Amino acid sequence: MRQSLAVKIPFFCFVMVLQVFCLPLKAEEGGQTPLPQKGALSQRIVSLSPVLTEELFLLGVGDSVVGRTRYCTKPAETDKIEVVGNLTEINVEKIVSLRPDLVLVIPLTDPRAKQKLRSLGIRVEEFPEAADFRGICDSFLRLAGMVHKEKAAADLIEKAKREVSRIRQETGSRQPPAVFIEVGADPLVTMVKGSYFHDLIEFSGGVNIAAEAVHQLYSREKVLAKDPDIIIIVSMGFDGEEEKRIWQGYPGLKAVRQGKIILVDSDLFCAPTPVSFVHALQGVEKILHAEN
Amino acid sequence: MQKIKKRSLKWIFWLLVLAAAVLGAAAFALSVGSAGIPFGKVFRILFEGQKGIERSIIWDIRMPRLLLGFAIGGALSLAGVILQGMFRNPLVEPYTLGISGGAAVGVSLNILFGLHRIGVLTMPFSGFLGACLVILLLYGLNMKRRVLSLQGLLLTGVMINFIASSLIMLILALSRRESLQGIIFWIMGSLDEPNAFLTRLALGASVLFLVATYFFHSDLNALALGEEEALHLGVPVERTKRLLFLITSLLIGVSVAVSGMIGFVGLVVPHFMKKMVGCDHRILLAASFLAGGAFLVFCDTLARTVIAPMELPVGVITGILGGSLFVFVLMRDNGEGR
Repeated sequence: MRQSLAVKIPFFCFVMVLQVFCLPLKAEEGGQTPLPQKGALSQRIVSLSPVLTEELFLLGVGDSVVGRTRYCTKPAETDKIEVVGNLTEINVEKIVSLRPDLVLVIPLTDPRAKQKLRSLGIRVEEFPEAADFRGICDSFLRLAGMVHKEKAAADLIEKAKREVSRIRQETGSRQPPAVFIEVGADPLVTMVKGSYFHDLIEFSGGVNIAAEAVHQLYSREKVLAKDPDIIIIVSMGFDGEEEKRIWQGYPGLKAVRQGKIILVDSDLFCAPTPVSFVHALQGVEKILHAEN
Repeated sequence: MQKIKKRSLKWIFWLLVLAAAVLGAAAFALSVGSAGIPFGKVFRILFEGQKGIERSIIWDIRMPRLLLGFAIGGALSLAGVILQGMFRNPLVEPYTLGISGGAAVGVSLNILFGLHRIGVLTMPFSGFLGACLVILLLYGLNMKRRVLSLQGLLLTGVMINFIASSLIMLILALSRRESLQGIIFWIMGSLDEPNAFLTRLALGASVLFLVATYFFHSDLNALALGEEEALHLGVPVERTKRLLFLITSLLIGVSVAVSGMIGFVGLVVPHFMKKMVGCDHRILLAASFLAGGAFLVFCDTLARTVIAPMELPVGVITGILGGSLFVFVLMRDNGEGR
């Protein structure tokens, strides 16, 4: 009895191993969605980035967005669109069931999910986070190409660029204030050259004191040493009021003496489309050149 | 004779129950999901040659995940049973020996240096390489005068785990934001493996190793009495220890390399099965394999449906569900004993 069982079980297992390798792990050909041609017009889009979702609406193709993330809340029309995940965790099954012909992803998206979607024959396009104003425009144009809205995009960018150069000209003649921009507390995080925050400050006639820093991590000591005229706190996930109080504990700072510690709404800054960039630029210009 | 017959009946009963559990978990995994395909339709789609998106969802998304869950759950439980039997220590689990730590360091380094851009298979490969290095290190450090010291193996394993987690912390501190994300994703563990080859590999390896361990079932039973007793019973103790160590390390290496770290399965399932089917390794090995597979498939299905369309890391479910179930059973047994 003992022997026979010891023989039977391994035999049973061997049969199982054989079966494993005979299993079809993929649906047969034709069960998949056909791969659309590059350059073909995309009709059903899943966007996994709030910025790209907003840009699709700007381009007037908002009604072809069939899936979004929880954080794609601009413009208000997005609330009718199905949610397929947050920024990092996405639900592949949900996306596939929406039958998209284009999925827009960002570098933060789960790499396994991207690979899975590609292996199912769905066109997946990755948009790296735009670093500065030029990057924002390039990314916007690339997106427009995918939905055949190059003309609309070019017009919007043209308008944005005109406004940017107007503001630059206007502020160029004034005395440039030194600015420290804080986007993270504990540790202190700022924005260096090559970011759109930096562009916002420079374009509106300010000087970013952290422009030449190598790393976005910054120390309070350095801020005290550079003594900026203005401190802008963009509260992203931290208590901006608390930070303001901390800065006010340094009465030696010029910004503190002049009452120039300014809290701004992160929504204004954190969705870098060409349109919102201009909007933010107008906001920063007001902050930098407000009369006392 | 009567006793043996009764025991065999009991074993067959348990195997049938566990096979039913596996089938039940599989049916559950195939039929729920955010696509909302009705229950009856799932099985029609499964067996008929209908084309379309729903077939693709079931065959290309749910099925590979189910198979991988079964393979990894089975492999981890099997490794847990063998290790607990060999070390005669109920707290040993697949991640105790530091092999998973080695795999995690391998994958983290891969992500830090951006090697994964070369090809998707470099990720599991570097994980497996890390695991193998730790296995060699453990083996080399604890092999003295042709005797594999089990106590030493356990201690060095735990230490290697500590060193590995510090190294991962170091790598996390050095890496950029995108890499950070990738490493944390990997450490959390996921059964959503896009590569069909890896799924097959994991499934094939786990079943093959299950077969291989059956050559050692009586040796394991003898080892449970103690090394000296086993030697007196005529078990080639050193050879058995060495081979079992190799088998379990490879099992752990493959599972961790393919699916990251999914905790708790390898600790809780063997304990449960010992309570259910008894400590005889002839039945315990197969029972743990089946139960582990069913358990992980079930947990993974919960993980992807509880807060749909978002997904929970499967380790969250295995930990909460497995842990509390285990404490419950333990308390109940204690109550009965009083």
